[in-house]
Amino acid sequence: MSSMNRRDVLKLAGAAGVAATGPWWRVGKSHAQRPKKLVYWHLPNFTPLADQIQKEQVYEFAKQAGLKESEVEYAVVANEQAAAKLAASIEAGNPPDVIRLYESNVQFYGSQGHLLDVTELVAKMRREPKGIFESSMTAVVYKGRALGVPLAVNPWPVHARLDLLEQAKVEYPKTWDEFIETSKKIQSPPRLYAFGMCLGLVEDTTDNVMNLLWCYGGKMVEADNRTVVMNSAANVAGVKVIEAMFKTHKIIPQGAIGWDNSGNNKAYQSKQAAFVMNPSSIYAYLDSNDKDLQKVTGLFPVPAGPKGTVNQIDTWSYGAFKKNPYPDIARGLIEYFMQPANYDKIIQSTGGRWVPVYKRLFDSPFWREKPEFKHFVNMAETGVPVSYAGAPTPAAGEVLNTHVIPKMIQRVLVDNWEPAKALEECDKRIVEIYSRYNKA
Amino acid sequence: MVRTTSGSRRILKWIGNGLLVVLLVWTLLPFYWMIATSLKADREIYGFEATLYPHRPTLAAYGRLFGTTPFMKYVRNSTIIAIGNTVLSLAFGCLGAYALARLRFPGRALIARGLVVTYLVPPALLFIPLFAVMSVLRLIDTHQGLILAYLSFSVPFSTWLLMGYFRSVPLELEEAALVDGCSRLGSLVRVILPMSLPALAVVTFFSFTQSWNEFLYANVFVNSVEVRTITMGLSLFVVEDVFFWGPMMAASFLSTLPPLVMYLIFQRWVVKGLTLGAVKG
Repeated sequence: MSSMNRRDVLKLAGAAGVAATGPWWRVGKSHAQRPKKLVYWHLPNFTPLADQIQKEQVYEFAKQAGLKESEVEYAVVANEQAAAKLAASIEAGNPPDVIRLYESNVQFYGSQGHLLDVTELVAKMRREPKGIFESSMTAVVYKGRALGVPLAVNPWPVHARLDLLEQAKVEYPKTWDEFIETSKKIQSPPRLYAFGMCLGLVEDTTDNVMNLLWCYGGKMVEADNRTVVMNSAANVAGVKVIEAMFKTHKIIPQGAIGWDNSGNNKAYQSKQAAFVMNPSSIYAYLDSNDKDLQKVTGLFPVPAGPKGTVNQIDTWSYGAFKKNPYPDIARGLIEYFMQPANYDKIIQSTGGRWVPVYKRLFDSPFWREKPEFKHFVNMAETGVPVSYAGAPTPAAGEVLNTHVIPKMIQRVLVDNWEPAKALEECDKRIVEIYSRYNKA
Repeated sequence: MVRTTSGSRRILKWIGNGLLVVLLVWTLLPFYWMIATSLKADREIYGFEATLYPHRPTLAAYGRLFGTTPFMKYVRNSTIIAIGNTVLSLAFGCLGAYALARLRFPGRALIARGLVVTYLVPPALLFIPLFAVMSVLRLIDTHQGLILAYLSFSVPFSTWLLMGYFRSVPLELEEAALVDGCSRLGSLVRVILPMSLPALAVVTFFSFTQSWNEFLYANVFVNSVEVRTITMGLSLFVVEDVFFWGPMMAASFLSTLPPLVMYLIFQRWVVKGLTLGAVKG
């Protein structure tokens, strides 16, 4: 076989390029000719019952809208895999009509012009009696227009072991100082550590760390979404508290440095941690898998720091993609989902995983009768996104996804850097990210 | 001197055996862990101490798998796609390899080397352009679409491997068949393929397992449960930050069985094919 020269390689590369990109000009045509009039990508809810109800609602709506079943595509997409699938479908001009989007993704896709304007629909929701939790609006509003419909407010309560508190004859701590003292009383390492704080290079670490820093007056960026303030005295104070909890008081397990997003869930579910800060996914898991542990689990606001208690929320939303020959059907489906009667069925069937955006739904016995949920209204009302004091913009999304803040905390806990030095490095990285997006 | 050599051999043998034991444990332990976890209750999985074996074995995870998920549909889809891809890989691979090994035409060398280049392009780069192609051809969310996508990695490998093997078949045998009136296709089917069974076994095994285990294309090109494969089904056992380990391990264990059975059937030829065909040409 003769050897291949440079020209051969170029020919080959050219042929491969033409073959791979050749049909691009036909993509638009293919999209317009699609046989389905409604394409809904469903990210699994927390319980099979909620999934079932939502599926039924899709087909109920389709029937009302005069669509045949064959004209509806209901696809189940795993949460973790949705990003790759969505990226490919957007590039190919064939995204779903409606999908559930996580917090900063609304502004990410919205700022690129992919999402339909749903301002009128959101305005209608706000006109419902008692309205909606306005805290959810920061996630969906871009340049004054709503590009997503808030589906659920997701508080990050502290899951706390009430039985251990009772054994030690102590109350749930009101401040972080009390938290440290209480932790020392109830823990018995290595079998049980008090605080399952996520410290690995994952998103939950950013959430856990920032939540504590806010209580000390810290934040990542100002409300103008431009001025990065990571390198501040307040943040230094907060990081020092985390450092002390990890190194001095040893109330956080050393292994937390290597946890993934499920690390704190597993620690709590296996009774190796008495406190964890997490969305109520843990509580919902216990509801269907470990009732005994659920009975001794309380859901509380985070303890207060010098600047009080600041609770985190994140917001899930519905987004409708513009590249859709039937935009009214897509809007109609979201509106159908969000009709309070339909919506309440889904929310309650998730066993507490999703917290309603409609305030009046908290009047129902489901939320009133369980003492665990008594703090949720206040948390949903006053909670802030992880990007606080800024909005969950695409820049904030990149900070979260590239684990800039987890790297900072690991500088302190693993590399033994001074908090101020670690925060300075972190600040530079965040400034670089925000500058890039603000220039664009 | 003899005694020293014998002693050295014995030591080497022990080292070799020791390494084999390590490799065996290395290979089998995850498999064992998967089975053991699938037989544990959730409480034991999440218990403080990791248990080496299920203390109270239960089939609850299997019950949940078959009772609450369309697992058998996933198996059906994976089987259809893996068999379809295997059959087509064999057909295209044999014809392509024969042409490249036996026929003389311009660009033959370029195509032969291009096969390797094609095989080396990672799926992560190809999935977006391929998605566009599939959209145009209306092959998204179809078995056919996924089979076609999988051919993009199985045919280059199959052709390359078979090409090397076909070259090792003496030309004289084929010429004799041609003189006796066989066509090119006839000589391929009657002479070359029967002599290339080990290589065909490797291609069959390779194409089947690659298709069976593939995730990225399946995730991107498939939407409905009617086409969803096992690997996609597995990913649905992770909901946000919670892992449903029991059913996930049960499904993982069951999904390893078809490739395992296949390997046991083809084992003899696979080893021979890998050691002979792959190094020729």
